[in-house]
Amino acid sequence: MARVKFLCDTDRCIECNACATSCKNENEVPWGMVRRRVVTIGDGEPGEKSIAISCMHCTDAPCVAVCPVSTLYQTDIGVVLHNKDTCIGCGYCFYACPFGAPQFPRSTLFGTRGIMDKCTYCAGGPEENGSEAEFKKYGRNRIAEGKLPICAEVCSTRALLAGDGEVIGEIYRERVVARGFGTGAWGWETAYYPEEA
Amino acid sequence: MTDATHGAHRPRDPHGSPPPFTGYRIFGAVMVLLLLIALAVQVFELFDGDNRTVPEVRWGSPPTSEVQSGLSSVGATDMLRERATLQGPRDIYGPSPEDDRSFQVGSETRLNTEAIPNPDGFLTGAWSTPDADTLPLVRGTDRVEGISSLPYTGAAIYERPFARDWRLGLADIATHLGALVILGFSLLLALMLALRGRVPIVRGKSGRKVERFGWFERATHWMTSVSFLMLALTGIVIAYGDTLILPFGDALLGSTGWLATWGHMMFFPSFALGVVIMFVMWVRHNLPSRLDVNWLAKGGGMFSDDVHPSARKFNAGQKLIFWSVILGGGAMILSGVLLMFPFFLLDINGMGWTMLIHAVVGLIMIAIIIGHIYIGSVGMQGAFWAMWSGEVDRNWAAEHHDLWLSDMEEKGSAR
Repeated sequence: MARVKFLCDTDRCIECNACATSCKNENEVPWGMVRRRVVTIGDGEPGEKSIAISCMHCTDAPCVAVCPVSTLYQTDIGVVLHNKDTCIGCGYCFYACPFGAPQFPRSTLFGTRGIMDKCTYCAGGPEENGSEAEFKKYGRNRIAEGKLPICAEVCSTRALLAGDGEVIGEIYRERVVARGFGTGAWGWETAYYPEEA
Repeated sequence: MTDATHGAHRPRDPHGSPPPFTGYRIFGAVMVLLLLIALAVQVFELFDGDNRTVPEVRWGSPPTSEVQSGLSSVGATDMLRERATLQGPRDIYGPSPEDDRSFQVGSETRLNTEAIPNPDGFLTGAWSTPDADTLPLVRGTDRVEGISSLPYTGAAIYERPFARDWRLGLADIATHLGALVILGFSLLLALMLALRGRVPIVRGKSGRKVERFGWFERATHWMTSVSFLMLALTGIVIAYGDTLILPFGDALLGSTGWLATWGHMMFFPSFALGVVIMFVMWVRHNLPSRLDVNWLAKGGGMFSDDVHPSARKFNAGQKLIFWSVILGGGAMILSGVLLMFPFFLLDINGMGWTMLIHAVVGLIMIAIIIGHIYIGSVGMQGAFWAMWSGEVDRNWAAEHHDLWLSDMEEKGSAR
């Protein structure tokens, strides 16, 4: 079975934020929440890098492990999905997430967080695949259509890669060989190989 | 031998045997059995190795013929791989194919999901082992935070590897060990009830009462205790709903979860008020004294009917409960308020630590209060009435709070 991953080639990311924008548009992400964002590290200094980050759909996902109401679950291609009907907004997944992926609306009393929203790898949620109910709660289900997440498919410099880990790993390796340098797959150790750390 | 045979106003002969409370002992033995089973289940949970996240849903393409049953994962793999290769160099793979599909995906769903009947850790294990090609790509993290042009809280965070350890703290240490502490302590109490039996009033009931707690003290106590019970129950739903409620269905867990979240918030103000009033009201009776050392050295007389170490209004055991409630409750209130206003004072790491402290202290408090409820109800004859009617039997007072009783007699408030 394919194991889908995200890989951001930091030597190619130009911080255009097209991934973040197209994600918000494609999935109709509500106000105040963002599923993908671009972080610039060492801004204005030599060696400045930008990286597009979102939920990495971790192996042995910590968010699934801490969720008290089993809102979060993982699928056999590695994608971590959430069920908005059972979420109580406790915020545990946010504390456990190594990438700051879970998002909460700030609309309710006492700072209670409201229902969590996160990147679905454009794979919807527990509703029927491709249904309107699913679109309203979780955004587009591109995986069911045989497509990959919009953020990666829209990336103009092909910095952000999505899809089966072996395939995108191979694409990246070919690239590094061709241009002669590369800073590795950022975040892969934390996300996919926690036991290597 | 029951109390009725002695008459209400006749003090029992000091050398007569106190009531054996056989029923209580049987109840204690039954509880020992039940708690042993619960503890065994919990210890099994600790070592059954299911703390890994495992996939519960599978993807596949719909069957293409009558012969095939269920979804085909081969088709899904091919589709995802094929699509991913489109991201490779254009001179090799060519441009993206014309995409004429509309938004209406209902009739065009090419992949679908179904639940995995018996989820196991096989995939998780396979995923976490990098192959020789991937290993060079994987490197440690030396960058954590940068800047982001997006206007969202925390948007500039890139990576927090520490978060994976937070999961260990909450999911493994706090909940598992918390359950062990609560169940283990309850087991000790049940054993005590079964073996030692209920603590009797050795000289029997005198029928003469002495006022122990006024209405304000009792009202405060019951307001705080009802609030605490509700906070504990809602907290247990949040901490252990996965184990206790999930077997009855996802939807039930979702709704009890919401009730618990809001209930937890609702009972906080009365609890906090109660703790503050109790501190002001009782602190002067709860300052440590030399008597407490003696009381603790004799185990509070818990192990023999004939040992009754001296005590004023509160003995050392009660003082320990008082300070647990004040300090533990204070910690719960402080961390709870910080959690109610996320990121108002603390950043993400601070919030994580606050959450862990709240969980651990809360679980310990539950265990302590179980002990308090035990000794105040089934554990000791006559103790419950102190807080319920406010009046205790004179003989009970003489056995457990002798110095306090003589103070009361001097003041003339004992009948």
